Amino acid sequence: MIQLQRVTKRFGSASDALSSVSLRVDAGAMAFVTGPSGAGKSTLLRLIAGLERPTRGRIRVNGHELDRLSARAIPRFRRSIGLVFQDHRLLFDRPVFDNVALPLEILAYRRPEMRKRVRAALDKVGLLHKETANPRTLSAGEQQRVGIARAIVHRPVLLLADEPTGNLDPALSQEILALFDDFNRVGMTALIASHDQELIGRMGKPVLHLENGRIEARGGASA
Amino acid sequence: MRPGRRLIDALPAWLDSHRDAARRSLGRRLQAPILSLITIAVLGFILALPAYLWVLLDNARALSAHIDHDPRIALYLDHVDEETAGRLEDALDDDERVARWERIDADTALTTYRDSLPDPELLDWLEDNPLPDVIDVVPASTQPDTVAALREDLRALAPEAGLVADDEWVRQLNSLHELGLRILSVVAALLGLGAVLILALATASELRERQEEIAISRISGATHRFLRRPSLYGGVLTGFGGGVFSVILLLAGVALSREPLTEAAAAFDLEFTLRLPHAGDLLGLILAGLILGWLGARLGSGHALRDAP
Repeated sequence: MIQLQRVTKRFGSASDALSSVSLRVDAGAMAFVTGPSGAGKSTLLRLIAGLERPTRGRIRVNGHELDRLSARAIPRFRRSIGLVFQDHRLLFDRPVFDNVALPLEILAYRRPEMRKRVRAALDKVGLLHKETANPRTLSAGEQQRVGIARAIVHRPVLLLADEPTGNLDPALSQEILALFDDFNRVGMTALIASHDQELIGRMGKPVLHLENGRIEARGGASA
Repeated sequence: MRPGRRLIDALPAWLDSHRDAARRSLGRRLQAPILSLITIAVLGFILALPAYLWVLLDNARALSAHIDHDPRIALYLDHVDEETAGRLEDALDDDERVARWERIDADTALTTYRDSLPDPELLDWLEDNPLPDVIDVVPASTQPDTVAALREDLRALAPEAGLVADDEWVRQLNSLHELGLRILSVVAALLGLGAVLILALATASELRERQEEIAISRISGATHRFLRRPSLYGGVLTGFGGGVFSVILLLAGVALSREPLTEAAAAFDLEFTLRLPHAGDLLGLILAGLILGWLGARLGSGHALRDAP
């Protein structure tokens, strides 16, 4: 599903944000990227999501060669992935339902099908009763779950999450990771960046440890 | 479109998406009504000004038709034999470019002239009638080209006849009208360009406000076209509003200037009423608004989306 070969990313003239990183995540797998802040976790996820282009090296995601993907082909590629952010990035000018429906609107789903899928996604994250609420009125944990519903509503083949539990207490964090585990069980490949070593340890999944833009350690078989 | 879907299946969804874009665009305008109304008003003024000038110019042309001064061609027959004169008269009868013609023989002309004098006896010392027979021709059209062509044809038929045409004033009036139209076109084009730029700026600033939505949509795989759609609907809505507003302004302007213009014309012994523009012209004005609105939105969104993250 994800394959990186000696990928380097440098922003301007600063030192490398990622330096010659190679990794592989098989389809259907779930893996974690960990490391201190500034280690390059976000950069790695942004590269895999096609939001940044590598300075050097090759990236292959879901059959697409991202380092040579044309600008026109990028939207289609992005529709096959789901992204979860630490700061949720919800739109406060519309209710929860519309936030979650956004990827389906882009995919041109018809109303009835859209309603079904949005409600299913909200149900999955336990927020069906909040569909008409403005996200501003929700707690941090609820906002994060809306963000997750939005990331999975179009059933992407790959789910990328950047510090999804960053602002949450341990109980909520555990709940969120359990959600990801559920999605993974139904076939969604998941790559999750987190600095919470203890939490990750409990999941028993492959872990990549990043430090200063390099992979310092690997735990587990498939990563 | 999702991969693997047939076009015919995707059409209803595509229409849904357009409807949503239009509705969202309208909603955004209703959320900031003052700003939207200002933009519509600016466009309305920009459209109404050249339209009003055009109405005045068009009416000025109509006014010239009221002045009883058709171009005339006079043929003096003093060196023309009767045979040629007969041919000339036959030709005038058949020519569709001639509204009417009249042969004024020398005696009638002298009598008319004598009657117009304050002291008719003055002419009695003349032994012979010095006036020639004259054919007075009134062309059917006041178009300078038509009158000139007729004049040349008549000259060819009777080269020896003295020919005097007073179509010069028509030419002058027409060239003034042409000049007026040209100046108006330049003014209208510059104003239109200004309107497009103003609308482009408005669109770009609106897109800046939607920055986060655009960023999230991009991440979710939105295309340029999808992101631009609400802006284009917004531009068309603003353009429509501006067009309708300009029609109202134009009609109000015409209504307000009607009476003073009629009075001014009466001072010159002219019967004149400012005509209202035709419904087709008013629809054209609204259409111009729509096109300018669309162009502005297209320009502004193209620019803003290229720069957006």
